[in-house]
Amino acid sequence: MRLKQKLARLDPPPKAQPGQARGQTLQRLRDQLARLDQKEERRRRRRKKERVDQEGRSRALPGERTETPYGEVHLVEGYLEPHHCHGRAPIAKALAASAERLGQLALDPRLEGVELERALFLDTETTGLAGGTGTVPFLIGVGSFEDESLRIQQLFLRDLGQEAPMLHWLRERVEASSCLVTFNGKTFDWPLLRNRYVINRVPAPRVSAHIDLLHCARRVFRPRLGSLRLVELEREVLGMRREDDLASAMIPELYFDYLDGGEVEPMLAVLEHNANDVIALSALVAELVDHFEEVHAEDDPRDHLAYARVAERAGDPSRARAFAEAAVEGGGSSSCTVEACLLAARVARRSRDIDAEEAALIEARAVADDDLLRAEVELALAKLYEHRRKDLRRALEHAAGTAIAEGDEGNDRRVARLERRLARHR
Amino acid sequence: MGSVVWGKPTGARQREPLCRVDSPWVRPRNLAELLERWRTDGTWRQVVGSHRLEGVPAAMAPMPASLSFAVIDAVRKRGIDRLFTHQARAIELASSGRNLVVATPTASGKSLCFHLPVLQSLSEDPNARALYLFPTKALSRDQEESLRRLVSESGLGTGAITYDGDTPADARRAARERAGVLLTNPDMLHAAILPHHASWARFFSNLRYVVIDELHSYRGVFGSHLANVVRRLLRVARFHGSSPTFLFASATIGNPQEHARRICGQEVELVGESGAPRGPRELLVYNPPVVNAELGIRQSYLKTAVRLTADLVRAQVPTLVFGNSRNGVEVMLKYLRDRLSRDQVDPSLIHAYRGGYLPDTRRRIEGALRAGEIRCVVATNALELGIDIGALEAVVCAGYPGTIAGLWQRFGRAGRRSDLSLALLVTASNPVDQFVARHPRQLWSQSIEHARIDPDNVEILVQHLKCAAFELPFRARDVYGDLPAASLGDALDYLADHGVVHPTAGIYHWASDSYPANGVSLRSASWDNFVIIDCDDDRTIAEMDWRSSHSMLHEQAIYQHEGGQFQVERLDYENHKAFVKRVKPDYYTTAMTHTKVTVIEQERSALVALGEVPLEAGLGDVSVVEKVVGYKKIKFHTHENLGCGEVHLPEMKKHTTGFWLTFSEAFVEKQVEPRAVVIDALRGLSKAMHVVGAVGLMTDPRDVGRTLGGRNQDELPPSKGDGAGFDPTIFLYDSIAGGVGLAPRLFEDREELLRRARHLIESCACQEGCPACIGPDAGGGDDLDAGRKRLVLEILDAVGVSVVH
Repeated sequence: MRLKQKLARLDPPPKAQPGQARGQTLQRLRDQLARLDQKEERRRRRRKKERVDQEGRSRALPGERTETPYGEVHLVEGYLEPHHCHGRAPIAKALAASAERLGQLALDPRLEGVELERALFLDTETTGLAGGTGTVPFLIGVGSFEDESLRIQQLFLRDLGQEAPMLHWLRERVEASSCLVTFNGKTFDWPLLRNRYVINRVPAPRVSAHIDLLHCARRVFRPRLGSLRLVELEREVLGMRREDDLASAMIPELYFDYLDGGEVEPMLAVLEHNANDVIALSALVAELVDHFEEVHAEDDPRDHLAYARVAERAGDPSRARAFAEAAVEGGGSSSCTVEACLLAARVARRSRDIDAEEAALIEARAVADDDLLRAEVELALAKLYEHRRKDLRRALEHAAGTAIAEGDEGNDRRVARLERRLARHR
Repeated sequence: MGSVVWGKPTGARQREPLCRVDSPWVRPRNLAELLERWRTDGTWRQVVGSHRLEGVPAAMAPMPASLSFAVIDAVRKRGIDRLFTHQARAIELASSGRNLVVATPTASGKSLCFHLPVLQSLSEDPNARALYLFPTKALSRDQEESLRRLVSESGLGTGAITYDGDTPADARRAARERAGVLLTNPDMLHAAILPHHASWARFFSNLRYVVIDELHSYRGVFGSHLANVVRRLLRVARFHGSSPTFLFASATIGNPQEHARRICGQEVELVGESGAPRGPRELLVYNPPVVNAELGIRQSYLKTAVRLTADLVRAQVPTLVFGNSRNGVEVMLKYLRDRLSRDQVDPSLIHAYRGGYLPDTRRRIEGALRAGEIRCVVATNALELGIDIGALEAVVCAGYPGTIAGLWQRFGRAGRRSDLSLALLVTASNPVDQFVARHPRQLWSQSIEHARIDPDNVEILVQHLKCAAFELPFRARDVYGDLPAASLGDALDYLADHGVVHPTAGIYHWASDSYPANGVSLRSASWDNFVIIDCDDDRTIAEMDWRSSHSMLHEQAIYQHEGGQFQVERLDYENHKAFVKRVKPDYYTTAMTHTKVTVIEQERSALVALGEVPLEAGLGDVSVVEKVVGYKKIKFHTHENLGCGEVHLPEMKKHTTGFWLTFSEAFVEKQVEPRAVVIDALRGLSKAMHVVGAVGLMTDPRDVGRTLGGRNQDELPPSKGDGAGFDPTIFLYDSIAGGVGLAPRLFEDREELLRRARHLIESCACQEGCPACIGPDAGGGDDLDAGRKRLVLEILDAVGVSVVH
């Protein structure tokens, strides 16, 4: 009993350690305190609140309890019509997407043979972002195509400790699919789910392939957008603006509130948020692949350049050249244009198209307005004329401007060698 | 006296050759000669106690039959054909799955006691796993090397990996998946491994052994935390289907078996009889001579220790000097180098070693010690933690470390397998040291202190239950170590009330979006260290824990580092940075701290009615507020006070358990002397009670806090002059937040405590109070010192405390 009394004395919780306030401005500290107060207030409220009748609450929740061979799950289901657009992206285009293109975007050649019609789009809502065994995915949303429609299924955890049937159900869905498509799932959702399988002693599914769109999107949109949160991609790339969307940081607290007998409404918002995330995954696949499949002249030249780089890394020279040319045509910043020209020249050189290489470099030289870039162009030209055109005089002319790119020493050697060779040829 | 010592033993005077062929560590012949010299030159007159421990021959046993050929082979490659008896017994116990604690002296081959059973299990099952816990990163790195060698010499495919904050990401993956032996520290287990145990499923499901080395270092709060981390570890292991055997190793403490049992919550066998041989050892207690008999002031123990150490160094005796504080270590280092450089001894042969040094500095010093490039090391207790530096011939302790166990852990550093060694304690003027100097025999005849922990300390328990709930939900019949089921239920309900866990269907689930281990630090201070930056080159020269930084790093403080002095120019308290500048002052600084104790809740109370005036004694929860208010400048060498300054730093607050004894205001009024004099006498009494209390509890005096204040919250602390009336109260409390059970024992023994305090004061030879009893007079003016000691005795008479003989 003595422990109980001591526990009672701990209330209110002991003051924060002085070190925790380290480095914070006073205002930030105040904000934090205010937030803590709110949290504490909400907790007090929900402790006091009388438990609403459970049946009533579960009726207010969309979807229904569904029996599975492993126990009961709460399943919310919906279909999207084939012509549904998420923002300006028609999601059904994901069906027509080429797995080869997607494999290139993911820099994972194993994806090339995957049937995208059987892909499983997956996103979870969790009780925290910290990871570790105490973080529970309380809502698992998956999307899959049936004919032309996207079927959204969401499994909602009505109370903690009922994960096992949900994990079994997910395992079957994952194993029946051709690949998983997630956003940051390789780092967050999937390791978390794998932990849940261990904790709940349910065998984890075999995942044949996993496409993390965060990595693909990063390759394409980083130069233009910088930040790559899913909502920002939606807004900037898909032209979709969510109304009254939840801030992800609030979701755990809302769920705990629900568990403690709080309102059902906030859960509807969470369900909608999650469904939108799943839909966004399919739309993003459609958009990424569509714009990589062929050049859309109206796209931003920075996107073209990024696609060109992806194609170059994936070993697809004709696509790389096409996108590089589009980037040059696009009339973006000079550095974007020069980079695109250099890329085009590189690709041309590898396919031994000397004329194209020369043309690209000459164009780059005309545009370059930055010393370093110009030096790089000059260097490429010097090499082109020395090694491929065997035009030592022009090579020497260009070698005059390459010092910044290759360093004084390298430049001296280059000039000396060219002069020596020229003298010999005379 | 002092000057006589300058006559050096012959042979010590020779100049150091530039290039020595034989290492000085293997040339011990001069220790005996030096001891002979001390006997004749007057040094011996101040030796108040001496004791010779005779050498012990080895007790050997054959290789246990349970070991496989591969393992025996690996040991043979190190030239070991037979084992010491304690090693053989440990292996036997471990192989039958019994938990055990090896408590044998330093350098008796404790590591083999746990390495061999671990190797054996790895050789039987390639999937087997073992977890080694060390209190510091440095120790695990040390052991990793030798363990790796053993593993590969046994022809085993698995590895040994250190897993700490410095382990790179790919090695972390290997550690999780493949390492047979994982070496880490409790903090890492607590914050990085247990909360992610699902990713460690293979490791936990095959966990055979948990090795906890340096068990004695897990006392107080740190130990209470560790016990809870072990409770969590056992829950996680049980979930993954394993129940590991615990192998502990401990340096000298009074209760190794009981302590190990509390840490792991299970029965543990004791392996306490060492079979290792030992050379003879001379133990000496040296009490520096009195220089001011009236005030009971003795020659500085630091200077005395330096003088005796200089003798040892000149006699080519490899010596380890322990100081009790960082400041003390740096002062001694400076004095030693000053002194020896006059004799043309290379100052680089002498080095400091302490906790605040950055890891690479420490590694360098350890290497030089092993190689014999350093002949004398001055250290705080960092070296107690078993870092392997080879055999040392002499250990000098400057000041009693506070506990007999602590003293033996230091003394244990001296001692070799066959030759003579020396362990020397130089006592300081403070009361506990003087108590020891008067009763030196208790050092080798009295039993040794117990390591105390309280795993059920409510603050610690609640923090770890949060972490445990995060790791796995609590089910109906779950156990949490040896915590009683009812208490576990209460604590979980408490967490549920706070919305941290969510109870449903009898199961408590973690229900918060935080990562609780991040909010819990096992060492009250390690996670928010202050860094010390040299303004001249923006270099970080050291780190210091939060609590010490108040008294060591306030602005204007002289911070001592590797024998140099730095002044703190600016303390960025918010960002935990101290900016220092190298200076050459002729003084160092010591901080002055104000302490205020407030009773939060009285748990028990009793009247002490021995005479006509009854006193009120109490026990309960108290809040302790400490604040560094100023500092004194102390001149080097003469130790005179050069003035003081103010310090403005936030106060440090903690809750703990306290015992108090209240004298009524009426009692103070009734005395003939002015109230300030009476209050001062009571303060003196509190000092004496603190001394006998710490000695009686056999605990480090720093574990017990002391102050004199008002009984009730609103009363002002007593100031010198005419403070309003209040009931003066002596507070003795657990220094460790939350308490580890010292105050309740003081409350139980309150009458004996008063009687022993009286005995201490009466038997002290001083006139008006000295550091050894009621403390010297506070310097408050002439009217204060008259009859100070007599007044304390009169007060004790009035309350009826007489010595029973």
